[in-house]
Amino acid sequence: MSVTSGDLFPLDAALRGIRERFADVVIDADRTSLRERTVVVPAERLAEVSAALAQEWGGSLLTMFALDERAEGGRYRLHVMFSMAPEDALVTLISAVPELAPSYPSVAAHVPAAHWLERELHDLVGVKPLGHPDLRPLVAHDGWPAGAHPLRKDFTPPAQWSWAPRYHFPLVEGEGVFEIPVGPIHAGIIEPGHFRFSTVGESVLRLDVKLGWKYRGLEKLAEGQSFSRGLELAERICGSCAFSHALAYCGALEELSGLVPPPRARALRSLAAELERVHNHLGDLAGILNDCAYVVGSASLARIKEIVHQACDTLFGHRFLRGMCVPGGVCRDLPDDAQQLWLRRVLADVRADVEDVLRAATANESVMDRLRGTGVLTPEVARDLGVTGVAARASGSTRDGRKDHPYAFYRDLDFFTVTHHDGDVLARLMQRGGEIHESLNLIDQMILRLPGGPLVVHIGEPQPGRWGFGVVESPRGLLSHWLRIGSDGQIGDWRVRSASHAIWPAVAMAVPGNIVPDFPLINKSFNLCYACTDK
Amino acid sequence: MWEILRRPLQIGIHPRMPAADAISPASRAPEGEIQLLGEALRVEVQGLFAGSLKLRHLDAGSCNGCEQELNALLNPFYDLQQYGIDIVASPRHADGLLLTGPITRHLEEAVRMTDDATSRPRLLIAVGDCACDGGFCADSFAVHRGASAVVPIDVRIPGCPPRPADIVRALLMAMGRASVLAASQRVAKR
Repeated sequence: MSVTSGDLFPLDAALRGIRERFADVVIDADRTSLRERTVVVPAERLAEVSAALAQEWGGSLLTMFALDERAEGGRYRLHVMFSMAPEDALVTLISAVPELAPSYPSVAAHVPAAHWLERELHDLVGVKPLGHPDLRPLVAHDGWPAGAHPLRKDFTPPAQWSWAPRYHFPLVEGEGVFEIPVGPIHAGIIEPGHFRFSTVGESVLRLDVKLGWKYRGLEKLAEGQSFSRGLELAERICGSCAFSHALAYCGALEELSGLVPPPRARALRSLAAELERVHNHLGDLAGILNDCAYVVGSASLARIKEIVHQACDTLFGHRFLRGMCVPGGVCRDLPDDAQQLWLRRVLADVRADVEDVLRAATANESVMDRLRGTGVLTPEVARDLGVTGVAARASGSTRDGRKDHPYAFYRDLDFFTVTHHDGDVLARLMQRGGEIHESLNLIDQMILRLPGGPLVVHIGEPQPGRWGFGVVESPRGLLSHWLRIGSDGQIGDWRVRSASHAIWPAVAMAVPGNIVPDFPLINKSFNLCYACTDK
Repeated sequence: MWEILRRPLQIGIHPRMPAADAISPASRAPEGEIQLLGEALRVEVQGLFAGSLKLRHLDAGSCNGCEQELNALLNPFYDLQQYGIDIVASPRHADGLLLTGPITRHLEEAVRMTDDATSRPRLLIAVGDCACDGGFCADSFAVHRGASAVVPIDVRIPGCPPRPADIVRALLMAMGRASVLAASQRVAKR
């Protein structure tokens, strides 16, 4: 097997290919970032270039959004961002869509990973992707008045607005086929989402997922606000991923300011990010075992998760690490040996306890019978839908944002990318167990190698019009914040994409072929954030 | 079998962490605090609710931080169930609702339907800053300014999110007030 230069340097191959095949593009028109290359593409060819990038040149779709630039230039602006992993590079395709004819050939028709992204920009900005396979509203509910697009600059909420959800679900026709609606209010302490099953008996033929119930309009709320208000909003998009959101937001702000936080701050950021990963994975594992009725395992894991939260509270002042990450660094520290030793002792106990629980759980035949072969996510579906994180790595992917696009202290740390191949619930359980182990190793490394120095560097006043992009490996996968400064020097535009947003369509693909009582288990094995997705 | 039981037997009834006082003067020691609060709570629940208070969680658009803290109340550290309080699966089984989130416009109808389904009399408890007054996103067009915009709230528990011990303390205070109210009503009847 020979390795072509295109494998080692996908970015170069991609840019060369784009230049050769698409003569009417402009590459790097105004380059401000070291790792982001921009390609301005006519809107009619956006789908073609995206397809070529995704299918031939190794790009994976990270995010896609639309911006309202009618005031500046009578147009809407589309950004389609691809990660060129394993190279630490991003390719952004930029297109302009005219104000009076706001439509363009759909990217999702060729790149399935753009499916939900295009539905969302259609709802929020009102730009229409022509030929999209399924243009039902995503964030909006059917009752939204025509022309209500919150992320347009001139948006004001209409007086008459029916917020009641009315949604068309595609049904499976046939004798004996039942339709089961579940949610949005569910039986346990859980977030709201609506699931519509088409079943024969208990076998699921089709699952449709309807979210958007928690839409809080946060991206709109940030417009014209200060950076600290933006950080407050970012940290509260989600409780599970609070630190990851703060990290990505601060990363975007630091990129557009051209600053790098000091080494001690970066190490503390990685340490906190790994603590967040551990408490998330523990909660997910507890959920999986709970839905197998292995309650003793679930209760043990809940106890261990509580220990991690209390450690976060004791050391950094917040159980979910809010208030720790600030633009330019961090504002909490692990100042002396006593604290570091205490943390290492606590985490050594955590490591031993998690191993015990997982060993007991995997030795239990009833549990293994539930987990094995349930809710399989195939590698092809995972790749086509742009799935990242735990779900992707449990289906064979070796992508990890901490290695592909290093941030914080990860470039200087040594860790193993855990991966499994079966893509079933068992694989996702074992994946999390392995990742907890690696995270605890990482925290140990960071404590031992914690550099000295300041905790924060001053951001200053960024230039209006500049944008920055922060991407982090959150507990569920790649999470990104795109931030552009407005003409008033405050937040102009803000676009967030969480890992969960990409993985929800994959859940809908993993459930058919299983039975309805296994749905909670499959759902828990992904344990995606609804709040992150709806914003 | 021994594998499963070994750790719980080692840890004992009251799980604890390595003492944190030496490293952090302001550290809270939840286990001691919880024992005190919990005993008082048990007494109130016994007196007011004959030892059984069933609550139903209703998410009205929270960030899931408050959900995780409500879930934490059921973990071996806090173990809410030992005080007679439990979380039930249906509003029809509930004495009260725990609301989290500002009430997004999309969920308003669901909140009203769930509240209607809860058998009277019921307690409505707003957990977290968002449920109390809309919280960090109160100015958004897509949310209400807290749960009281849609349903009448009896108890407010602020925090972002409130720690489990804070939730227990707030429930206790609410019950303390409820018992004062009940006593004054008994006096008024005479």
